[in-house]
Amino acid sequence: MNAWDWAQLAFIGVATAVLAPLGGKYLAAVFGPGKAPGDRLMEPIERAGYRLLRVDPDNEQRWTSYALSVLAFGLVSVVGLYVILRLQGVLPFNPTRAPGMSPALAFNTAASFITGTDWQAYAGETQASYLAQMAGLVVAQFTAAAVGLAVALAVIRGVAGDRHTVGNFWADLTKSLTRVFLPLSVIGALVLVSQGAVQNLHGFLTAHPVAGGTQQIPAGPIASMEVIKLLGTNGGSFLNAGGAHPFENPSGFTNMFDLLLVIVLPFSIALMFGRLIGRPNQGRVLVVVMAIIFVAHTAVGMQAESHGNHLIAAGVSQQTSTANVGGNMEGKEVRFGPAGSALMTVGTMGTTAGATDSALDSYTPVGGASALVAIILGEISPGGDGGGLYGILMMVILAVFVAGLMVGRTPEFLGKKIGPTQMKLAVLYALTIPFVILTFSGFSLVLAGPSSDALNPGLHGFTEIVYAFASVTNNNGSAFGGLNATGIWYQTTLGVAMLLGRFLPIVLALALAGSLAGARVHARTRATLETAGPTFAAFLLGVIVTVGGLIYFPMLMLGPIGERLIS
Amino acid sequence: MHALLYRQLVRSLVMFAIVTVLAGIAYPLMVTGAANVAFSHQAQGSLLYHNGRLLGSSLLGQNFTDAKGKPLPQYFQPRPSATSPTPYDGDASGASNLGPTNPLLVGFVAGVTTYRQDGSVAPRNPYATRTDPYCVPTDPQGSPISVVNPPPGQRYARNAHGGYVCDPNTIPERAIAYRQFNGLSPHAMVPVDAVTASGSGLDPEISVANALDQAPRVARVRRRNLASIVALVHRYTEGRQFGFLGEEGVNVLELNMSLGGEQ
Repeated sequence: MNAWDWAQLAFIGVATAVLAPLGGKYLAAVFGPGKAPGDRLMEPIERAGYRLLRVDPDNEQRWTSYALSVLAFGLVSVVGLYVILRLQGVLPFNPTRAPGMSPALAFNTAASFITGTDWQAYAGETQASYLAQMAGLVVAQFTAAAVGLAVALAVIRGVAGDRHTVGNFWADLTKSLTRVFLPLSVIGALVLVSQGAVQNLHGFLTAHPVAGGTQQIPAGPIASMEVIKLLGTNGGSFLNAGGAHPFENPSGFTNMFDLLLVIVLPFSIALMFGRLIGRPNQGRVLVVVMAIIFVAHTAVGMQAESHGNHLIAAGVSQQTSTANVGGNMEGKEVRFGPAGSALMTVGTMGTTAGATDSALDSYTPVGGASALVAIILGEISPGGDGGGLYGILMMVILAVFVAGLMVGRTPEFLGKKIGPTQMKLAVLYALTIPFVILTFSGFSLVLAGPSSDALNPGLHGFTEIVYAFASVTNNNGSAFGGLNATGIWYQTTLGVAMLLGRFLPIVLALALAGSLAGARVHARTRATLETAGPTFAAFLLGVIVTVGGLIYFPMLMLGPIGERLIS
Repeated sequence: MHALLYRQLVRSLVMFAIVTVLAGIAYPLMVTGAANVAFSHQAQGSLLYHNGRLLGSSLLGQNFTDAKGKPLPQYFQPRPSATSPTPYDGDASGASNLGPTNPLLVGFVAGVTTYRQDGSVAPRNPYATRTDPYCVPTDPQGSPISVVNPPPGQRYARNAHGGYVCDPNTIPERAIAYRQFNGLSPHAMVPVDAVTASGSGLDPEISVANALDQAPRVARVRRRNLASIVALVHRYTEGRQFGFLGEEGVNVLELNMSLGGEQ
């Protein structure tokens, strides 16, 4: 990594440090009691929505009712998107003449976008109509993000509040859309277009290049999808190459803007948490832990990719300089360079976005491992919109319990006792995702057909398969793209893994929040374990790394670590 | 319970419909309208025209090859492209996805296990040719062979001299072809971007080092003064954005158009 690469990383750090506190303040105003900016403009729209929904926004739900609303909305959304994808061939606004998707592909894609995974087993250019992308996939990207934020709000109310209820799902969902995702998307899309991202409604154009022949020039409402793909920590692109495509991510600036669109909001949500519970330092502790993990995996990825691939023959210059972009350039764009590509791609791996601007499958073993590690630590650096917060809060509960055992105090968080019920739920939460990943990966590796769908030989092929399940179960959606995941086995199992990886953790997190809702708040004494200081931050970091590391270490040994050691 | 579930399902349907209208129709149409008023050139794809003919987009790389796919020496050549079926296919953006240890990418270099045709491990590359010690052979149709554990009875393509035909898309093979095409010495260092495919398969840029390696060949074929070609390379070099974001690169299509000679 040279000085330019460090400068880009420092830019991301400074920009996040400036923007996230502003975001946290705004979110706390919107979702807390009292007035918020934008009330006069948005409240009439929201009230109209509540009337259509026949919802009283002040009528709060218990956790069971809240979870039921989340599941019902998920079910309706998956079915609705499935129908659109199946019928896209006969529906209007299909200038590229994409045929209707097969049942397995439509299921896989619908589950993928509704859960915010955005795993794409199809090529956007030829297999998805403009209508399906604009009114189907984009809608799913908005709702996936808004549901995540809504669940986080419910968890906050349960963990910290003094009522037995956790809020109204429909009101949370509505306000997430009107106050956060829709307005920010309009601004973000226009910034992207100003840099060269494409936004129009006509079909592909045919160009006649200087040297003869023809070239198709892609078109469509690309930027409006690109922005919510990032802002909503979704990751699904209009075009097959995603963030590597010049029509989605045209310049060095948009590359960094894209990364900021992904990570600023999850950091803001953690700061909002601190403000809403009246303990800003508690939010800052979470942000610090998230940021340490983010910098660690991102810097390792940047270093590995700019150092290059040691197997590339002598006579090829991978030395990075201003004239020679250098590094491991297979699957990367010149305008981003190796370190800039890794900064964006590995940087988004600690969120559910998994948005890439380069081909992860061609990353060096260490670079690929840095992406995989960000995912298996549970995507809390800084995590998806909402998901990052309730994910790290589950780790906090585990950490409080372990710390309580070590020092012989009754474990408490925010003055509420952590008892056997909470521990069972938190441990179940921590084990659900590894169980789904390792079970499906194991079956895929022993079955003759699925195990031979990896493109690359040897241990790299193993990594392709386990990466796919780690990615979709954590709702990340990035891929080691060589895996041929278009068969029935992968489309079905990956689709099921996404649904389990999304809705089981949501229900467990809501159940835990519900179990604490209305619990007695004990006064702070000198014996209370401090959860808002540096000691607890370090301890939490240790718990996160231990939980992720112990469960997945054999998988990492057989995959990227082994690949690096034997080559 | 049933009544509760039913009410939630109906609400979900209404919500799904509202969001589809707002975020699926109103939002993209509003953005399209505003974008095409404020940034019409970009929103349409940064298109380049010459005498009314659409030549391409300044953001998308394209081929400068003859009808048989051979690179034309009078033009700067873009990076290799992994799009299928043809390179720089605007309909099929994508990467090679070849792993960093895959011989189909890096060739048979030290550290990559080489197998003989019978499947046993060979100490040295048995497919090496005089010009290419890293050769990965192809099958008789010219397609690369799955070189780790090849299927029994796999046949390998041979050239007129009885040597193996090497897969032209490995990095060592591309480096050899690059040196030959540009008249560089057999030991010249080749910029890595010249022998690797991009993530989109549509990378519009090459590194400055790559362009400067190609400049003498372009000058020779066009009978132009080298200094004037090098000056054009620097004119079409896009620096880091705002001085520090991204990397420097040369836009190949714009550079080639500036050389003149479009029909």
